[in-house]
Amino acid sequence: MALLPRRFLCFVLAHHFIAATACQEADYGWMIRHYCLKQFQLSMEDIGQRLWCDWEETVGTYGELTNCTALIAERLDCYWPNRLVDEFFVAVHKQYFRNCSPSGRALHDPPNGVLCPFILLPVLVTLLMTALVVWRSKRSEGIV
Amino acid sequence: RAKKGLFCNRTWDGWLCWDDTPAGRITAQNCPDYFPDFDPTERASKYCDETGNWFRHPESNRTWSNYTLCNSFTSEKLKMAFILYYMAIVGHALSITSLLISLAIFFYFKSLSCQRITLHKNLFFSYVLNSVFTIAHLIAVVPNPGLVKRDPVSCKVLQFFHQYMLGCNYFWMLCEGIYLHTLIVVAVFAEEQRLHWYYLLGWGFPLVPASIHAVARARYFNDNCWMSVDTHLLYIVHGPVMAALLVNFFFLLNIVRVLVTKLRDTHRAESNMYMKAVRATLILVPLLGIQFVIIPWRPENRLAGEIYDYIMHILMHYQGLLVATIFCFFNGEVQGALKRQWTQYKTQWGQRRREHCSTRSTSYTATSITEVPVYLYHHDSNNEQLNGRYVEDSELVALKSGETSA
Repeated sequence: MALLPRRFLCFVLAHHFIAATACQEADYGWMIRHYCLKQFQLSMEDIGQRLWCDWEETVGTYGELTNCTALIAERLDCYWPNRLVDEFFVAVHKQYFRNCSPSGRALHDPPNGVLCPFILLPVLVTLLMTALVVWRSKRSEGIV
Repeated sequence: RAKKGLFCNRTWDGWLCWDDTPAGRITAQNCPDYFPDFDPTERASKYCDETGNWFRHPESNRTWSNYTLCNSFTSEKLKMAFILYYMAIVGHALSITSLLISLAIFFYFKSLSCQRITLHKNLFFSYVLNSVFTIAHLIAVVPNPGLVKRDPVSCKVLQFFHQYMLGCNYFWMLCEGIYLHTLIVVAVFAEEQRLHWYYLLGWGFPLVPASIHAVARARYFNDNCWMSVDTHLLYIVHGPVMAALLVNFFFLLNIVRVLVTKLRDTHRAESNMYMKAVRATLILVPLLGIQFVIIPWRPENRLAGEIYDYIMHILMHYQGLLVATIFCFFNGEVQGALKRQWTQYKTQWGQRRREHCSTRSTSYTATSITEVPVYLYHHDSNNEQLNGRYVEDSELVALKSGETSA
């Protein structure tokens, strides 16, 4: 699946190669939208919208998109990354990853409402248990 | 978004997002952890110049963010991490050795045994188990990223027992404090206490915080092998430990108060003896507790941070050695018992040597000479028993258990 876009791309570029030494921004913009973005859109449709925020599912496709833009930049002798790629990816993120949570799937503590009881309960039980042991020691001496 | 003045637009530089920044300002954020030699505690920076454009590197004329600090100190930090790792293993090994020697001393010399020594034995045993689990964790799990990636249940079970043993350590210290408190403050002329509740508090109760931690960790922060220390869920175990240390400290201060004020006038000699018993515990509790107090205060400065790390590691990993030294090797009674045993061995060995080497003519004088030390030794032990009986006859029965003078 990963090889297909690259071979297809090389085939296409061989026909459309323009012998210019400087980077033509308009061409670059058109190429990444028509070649890289189309492939990416097909893959994301396959994954399904429900899983777009799951990084483990989308990382492969996302990487291919990145590599595709870099490859075209290399062929057209453009610097990478550049302003067009910036805007391109911002648009991709707006469309596909808008609703994903900022911290992603990184592990984080539960909210304070859950965390505090979890911490305070053992502390209270500790103090109660200590008081119990002190009281029982007193009682075993016959002194109440 | 309306923003006053000149500013650089938010941008993605290929590794990190940079927010809108006012002109002429350097903005910084923590380094990413994409690469093994990038340190996420270091800072990456980006300069927005006065014209409202991001800084361009003079050589390539492209926008450039400064990630040089992210991997510049990594090799030194790695070296220090190795030093601390080996220090920890050595500390725990020394602790196990000294604790096992102390336990052997306490079990061998029956004359030493009393209730306080029984509590010491349990405390030492919990320290030994704690060191064993820590060494197992340091050797099997920490240098083994493959195991951590696989995340088997066994490494989580190991962590559970590790947290349980940590609790046991500090709760046995609390038992020592409660025992002294009951002995001195609550009932001065006490018979032997029943130790069931102490066993429950020392061995049974730490299961509670350890289990709650395991449940919360599995439900909310189920990282691989539960290795991360970046979570507040660890306070589920550390909170009760700190509470136990605090309570222990207040008990000991109360004991000192009682000894100094109430008993000073009436029983001066006895209060001195009790003071000696309390002194060891009073020294140990703050030493064990200080690591929890200074944990959040790691200095930002690199050199101070290194010194802090060394001190923290010594406080954490050499505790067993400290406990064994203060409670056993510096204990006057233990030293006395060891000296007597050493004298006895020397005498027996000398006697045997003279029996082997002597001829008939000299044997009479030799045996008469060797009679004397043996007689002295028996006389000494008689004195010892007399002393014990004398103490028992007097009112201060409790002194027998509080006779430790260290």
